[in-house]
Amino acid sequence: MKAFSEEQILDNLRQQDDTSAQYYAAWWLGKMRSQHRDAIPLLIHTLSALHKQPVDPDRRGVALNSIRALGLLRDASASGDLLQLLQSDDYSVREEAARSLGSMKDPGAIKPICQLLSGGIDKAGREQKGTALLSEPCEALIEALGEIGDDSAMIQDTILPFCKHPRPLVRAAACRSLLQLTGCSQWAEELKTLLEHPEPLVRRGALLDLGATGWTAALPAIKTAAVEASLKLVALRGLAECSDGTAVLDAMDDLL
Amino acid sequence: MTINDLQTAVLQLDRATSTPELVRATKKICALMDPNAAPTLIKVLGYNNPAVAATATQGLIKLGRNIVPTLLNSLDTGNYGARAWIVKVLAALRDPRGLDLLEHALIADIAPSVRRSAVRGLADLDLDESKALKELARCCNGLLQACRDDEWIVRYAAVYGLERRLTLSALPPSMKNKGRSMLIELASEQEDVKVVRLRASLALQRLCVG
Repeated sequence: MKAFSEEQILDNLRQQDDTSAQYYAAWWLGKMRSQHRDAIPLLIHTLSALHKQPVDPDRRGVALNSIRALGLLRDASASGDLLQLLQSDDYSVREEAARSLGSMKDPGAIKPICQLLSGGIDKAGREQKGTALLSEPCEALIEALGEIGDDSAMIQDTILPFCKHPRPLVRAAACRSLLQLTGCSQWAEELKTLLEHPEPLVRRGALLDLGATGWTAALPAIKTAAVEASLKLVALRGLAECSDGTAVLDAMDDLL
Repeated sequence: MTINDLQTAVLQLDRATSTPELVRATKKICALMDPNAAPTLIKVLGYNNPAVAATATQGLIKLGRNIVPTLLNSLDTGNYGARAWIVKVLAALRDPRGLDLLEHALIADIAPSVRRSAVRGLADLDLDESKALKELARCCNGLLQACRDDEWIVRYAAVYGLERRLTLSALPPSMKNKGRSMLIELASEQEDVKVVRLRASLALQRLCVG
């Protein structure tokens, strides 16, 4: 495959006719962590398609990729546009915007996210008939609060009810964020229990959540979990980057 | 008797329909420790079922190096679904006959986990320092190439590999220097991923002490 230059990629995002070229360009800029000064304005520009009625499905796809790329590039100038998207009536747009604001650690997102989560598991966390979705993208919203890392009683009170959600992956997201915010081992224990869940998907989720918290005491549980080595390595990366000593790196070597 | 046991077990495998049944039947075949079971276990690798393939992989590794020719032949017959797992088995067996395939997997395979296994193989292949200098150089060149991979885990594995190979006294000084400069680069801010930087610093530390 031909490799693209950064200039070519930016041109592809700039033109309006070929949405699949735009789609790839938006993904590329995030993946390659582009530092080009045109990258952020061009990505933000694609978001305007989300405010048109009706939304063009192809341009929506480009915009979703742009939201993810903005999360990877972590440029504060995108903050206002992403905050606005938390109010979108499109579930996936709210979900991706929350994830990107979380990775940007944008404290401005705390209040709107808490508002979306208010009402707890009966409202935001209610299952929607005929779809796998909840009323709100709870996992993304809760995880964003943990990533932003500002600990207050209001935030904890917002997350706490979700520890009792019927879906294990929502419970895992809540425990992960509370562990990040409070450093309280009780939440690590909950995640370790989910690491032994009969569903592989839940075990994988809990494993990645433990890794994201950087909770080094989870090392033995991660080592013995029934999850494939590739994912364990991702989780252990999270631990290794937060810890001193060689124990985590040695465990990673064993899994290669 | 053994042939009969194997035949019975293979029959059970053929009848299995759910994942738990497939895993159980595969475990039974592995437990026989019969080299004749290798072709069946290789076939299982192609079922596109990770739980079953992981079981068969462990079984194949336990059968040891006698099965290496069977593994290499199976790739010629176009069993592509099994390729990733076979790279893992070959890397774990550390048999020098796997070198061609590991080199090829490193440059050609699109799955990072396969390239990671291939790198692990290049790091660990059992090579006689006094006789296999050419092969050793091929391993080192593969590892240096893997240090430029797009995926952090492949670069991480390459650092692990360089640490292992650079301790060998038979390695020519020019190769040692190349390896060290690469580790220094990966330990610096030129490398984006922190865990790769950490691992490269650890490798340099150990190489200086050792």
